[in-house]
Amino acid sequence: MSDQEKKAVDRAEISKMLDKKAPEMKRILNYCVHCSICAESCFLYMSHDGDPQYMPSYKIINSLGKLYKKKGNVDHEFLEGIKGMVWNNCVLCHRCYCPIGIDIPRMIDFTRSICRSQDVFPKLDEGESWL
Amino acid sequence: MIIAERKPFEEITEMIKGYKNILNVGCGGCTSICLAGGQKEVNQLNAELTKENAELKIDSFVIERQCNYDFFVDLDEKAPKYDAILSMACGAGVQFVAERYTSIPVFPALNTVFCGVDRNVGWFEENCRTCGECVLGDTAGICPVTRCAKGIFNGPCGGTRIDGSCEVDPDTPCAWTDIFNRLTEQGRVDKIIEVKPPRLWQNQVRRVLIQEDYKARYAE
Repeated sequence: MSDQEKKAVDRAEISKMLDKKAPEMKRILNYCVHCSICAESCFLYMSHDGDPQYMPSYKIINSLGKLYKKKGNVDHEFLEGIKGMVWNNCVLCHRCYCPIGIDIPRMIDFTRSICRSQDVFPKLDEGESWL
Repeated sequence: MIIAERKPFEEITEMIKGYKNILNVGCGGCTSICLAGGQKEVNQLNAELTKENAELKIDSFVIERQCNYDFFVDLDEKAPKYDAILSMACGAGVQFVAERYTSIPVFPALNTVFCGVDRNVGWFEENCRTCGECVLGDTAGICPVTRCAKGIFNGPCGGTRIDGSCEVDPDTPCAWTDIFNRLTEQGRVDKIIEVKPPRLWQNQVRRVLIQEDYKARYAE
């Protein structure tokens, strides 16, 4: 899909979605103490030799966390950039464990919803895949 | 992975006839991957439906999995606003949605076809009937239930053609010829003469599986 054909990012819609989950996100961003306990419960992290990009906390902080900090003021390129993080680097198996109780898969799921709302999702028929 | 395909358009329009405000829910799991019920397919079906009936209000929404209630949080907010739901998940997902919103009619937009593998983009092949008693260890990784037209456990039957194809369909390779050839290649062709007892196929009821480690948790 060429840049011209891409749907323009509806920042107001993203912002509205983020506002709805603001309390949940604030909690996550404030409470994550980067203890990395979630990392060892993630089979993708373990099977990628501890690559930090697969750490559950890394995935939400660098996708949803950035979206939240930017208040949804992002472009298509940003969303395409986080697409790999929330689709390729996570299978939503719900096995990640957070001692503080942060629902990491729920946040990844939410980030995918935001991407989907802007027509950003894996184009499987165009050769993209996840995993 | 579960493989599905879209129902004929006329069947879908017939099911939703009379409903004016519909939510078409895609699934981000298997039916996305098999290119039948993901976001692109949801949008495409909705475009076709609104072209057919300009008065129809049909919205799109995709949840990551319709077979797990953990992913229903946002759908719970949306669903009550509609008269009917069209689901583009497999049969399991459709039933899970229908069980969640019992007062709203839920219609399947797909036919769930089989459990299979991706041979290439858009090309899927059935490999498993989920019979619950896997014999692949004895059959060189080729399923006689799925790939033999007769589903026989002790083969080949007398109908194997000289070229190794099936008597039922000459374009289908005989599963048992393939099993024989692969067992020979692996040096364990003696496996083919082990007689397997008949299986009880009748009286099948809905299966529920709780993994061993979780049995105590759900005991009550």
